[in-house]
Amino acid sequence: MAANGFVADVRHMGEVAVVDLAGDLDGSAERLLDKAWEAVGDVSVVVLNFSAASYINSTGIALIVGLLGRARVKKMLVRAYGLTDHYREIFEITRLSDFIEMHHNEEQATARP
Amino acid sequence: MTDEATTAGVHKEGSQMINDESNKEASPSEAAARDAAYWANLTRSLELGEVPPEARNINVSGRRQTSPLQGFGRMWQKSYLVVLSGVEATPQEVIATWKEEFQSFWPEGNHYYGPLTGIAPGDVALLNLSMPGKLTMSTGVLVLYADEESFTFMTPEGHMFAAFITFSAFKDKDGNTAAKVHVLLRSNDPVFEIALGLFGHRKENRFWTHTMTALASHFGVKNPTVDIQLVCVDRRRQWRNAGNLRYNSALRSAAYMVASPVRALRKKSPRR
Repeated sequence: MAANGFVADVRHMGEVAVVDLAGDLDGSAERLLDKAWEAVGDVSVVVLNFSAASYINSTGIALIVGLLGRARVKKMLVRAYGLTDHYREIFEITRLSDFIEMHHNEEQATARP
Repeated sequence: MTDEATTAGVHKEGSQMINDESNKEASPSEAAARDAAYWANLTRSLELGEVPPEARNINVSGRRQTSPLQGFGRMWQKSYLVVLSGVEATPQEVIATWKEEFQSFWPEGNHYYGPLTGIAPGDVALLNLSMPGKLTMSTGVLVLYADEESFTFMTPEGHMFAAFITFSAFKDKDGNTAAKVHVLLRSNDPVFEIALGLFGHRKENRFWTHTMTALASHFGVKNPTVDIQLVCVDRRRQWRNAGNLRYNSALRSAAYMVASPVRALRKKSPRR
């Protein structure tokens, strides 16, 4: 199952931080996702880029929910792009879509709120 | 919007940068097929199959599943870990047994009524849970995800928690097989939030400690120790979700119990 190494890069674009997620988002990604979250710092919008995410299991979704909880504490807006239809459906069934704005591309996702 | 100003990258040792060609081996659409079979299909509301006549079946069918984001109270992350020291069973074997005999590891008086075929993605199960005051609370779960090393439940509206509950097994750093329950939750409404503070956390901890001890004992572990981790992820309550109270399964189950003599009389009396 989990095969590809997980990578999380953080890019800052003014008040927006883009977190590029690549590889397998599962339980083993927790430490790296925590580090990425620390690198996000104080911004008003966090954009999660799933374009290179190759596998997400339920623990990975729980990690995203945990991030949303932390974003709420800091009153940050969370957006996502690069989701395939399959992952959009997962966001629907897990009801993450109620809290994450889903966009088609980076330009839309990083636009001012 | 300014151009990219800073970049901070975190990587697994030996892994490649995101923009390396090596990371583009699997496109998202190809990769989707790799986990697709493990996820439940999209459903707007839960539908429960047949349950035994002795089961109390309310508060499940027609309800929507909830994640911690839809709940009311503080967000908690809890984990219950037991190391199966000296046990030969692989993580896959532990999960297979856990799925097959799920109910048998629970404390007495609590029932899981799922499909006889085991635990599979998309299954909806009825729970009858023992509560204080001899109340039996009827609620349920959706099997959100299930693979060979883990499975995850999502709770319906009205359950005490809006939660993801993940059961997993893996090899720890010493090479032992370990089993873990990971719960990410908010209480669903103000009444459950008060109950969680008064006795809910203790009851929850006892419940999963019993479960993990029983699982470890099943595999032959003597005097297993359950490690409990409890972290408050978000201390604030979501007051906009206070209206979840209308689905409260404990209150509805209590009302159902109180009305049961009336229902029995109606059944006995001949129709006019």
